[in-house]
Amino acid sequence: MNDFSELEADLKKLRPREASAQLATRIEQELAEVSGRTATATAGVLPKQKAFKFNWSALGLGLASAAAFLLLARVNVDQLPDKGRSLGAMTPAPSVAPSEEKDTFVPSGLTQVVYDTRDEGLHFAEGASEPVRRVVSRKRETLQWNNAQTGASLRVSYPSEEVTLIPAAGQ
Amino acid sequence: MENVVTHEDWKVGFSELAPGLVLFARQFVRSIADAEDIVQDAFVRFWRKEHSIENRALLFATVRSVALDLLRRDARRARREANAALDLEQTTQPQFDFDDGSQRELAAAIDRLPVDQREVLVMKIWNELTFAEIAGALEISQNTAASRYRYALAALKKNFVAHE
Repeated sequence: MNDFSELEADLKKLRPREASAQLATRIEQELAEVSGRTATATAGVLPKQKAFKFNWSALGLGLASAAAFLLLARVNVDQLPDKGRSLGAMTPAPSVAPSEEKDTFVPSGLTQVVYDTRDEGLHFAEGASEPVRRVVSRKRETLQWNNAQTGASLRVSYPSEEVTLIPAAGQ
Repeated sequence: MENVVTHEDWKVGFSELAPGLVLFARQFVRSIADAEDIVQDAFVRFWRKEHSIENRALLFATVRSVALDLLRRDARRARREANAALDLEQTTQPQFDFDDGSQRELAAAIDRLPVDQREVLVMKIWNELTFAEIAGALEISQNTAASRYRYALAALKKNFVAHE
């Protein structure tokens, strides 16, 4: 490169012609036009802001559903419902006395209120040799849990439907 | 979010870069007016995309891209430029301000260089880009950029001395 140092110095002495004054003005105008087009694209109608809006009712419903699900799931594990109850009865479940007072919710009651019973007549189930009577019971079950340490309680009430097939021969 | 209206910084950066950018664009066309059109288009594109003005390789690549697009789009213009290249001294507007005849000769010798050498020379001498930046702008290797630069200087030295 040393061979060219003098030439490079000569080259650097050459001054490129200045850009015209209009060039900067034209760029400025074009940038302004571009931004103007962007600004007028909305024609004064502001685009709807996607603001985050908290839906409290959905949150409450979701939490209630989640709590009910968890509680029911626990009941299914801890306390199987008694399938042998008779129809039309109000059957308070035996309360469970906690052996130790722990800071936890313990199932304390199950109430089933049958408010409708419908006899759907005789049915022949597949492969059955005898007809069965199909009885549909609609009821509302209420589960309750108590926390012995804090005294808090939880109640979940939900509708249910039970179908009972009674052998006709036994009637 | 565009920076075109919120920032006025482009004026400062542009005023420093403008002569070199126009000179670079001028390597593809034969009139200052066309070169300025290219620079205008390229700079607006560059600025609207919110590139940093420090990214000179990209800025020069944008100017080059706009210039080549212009030549490709306008076949008539391309033919005119090709014809002009055959008869440079008659049709080419000077791209430098001269102090003396020696500089005029040197500028004429630059015009006779192949365009791939001229663009490297212009970026290196009058825009002070590094070979890495030149390589980035032209999408060539640094070695190729350095080679083209050396070839340009060698050719200039030979031609310039021959004309002196």
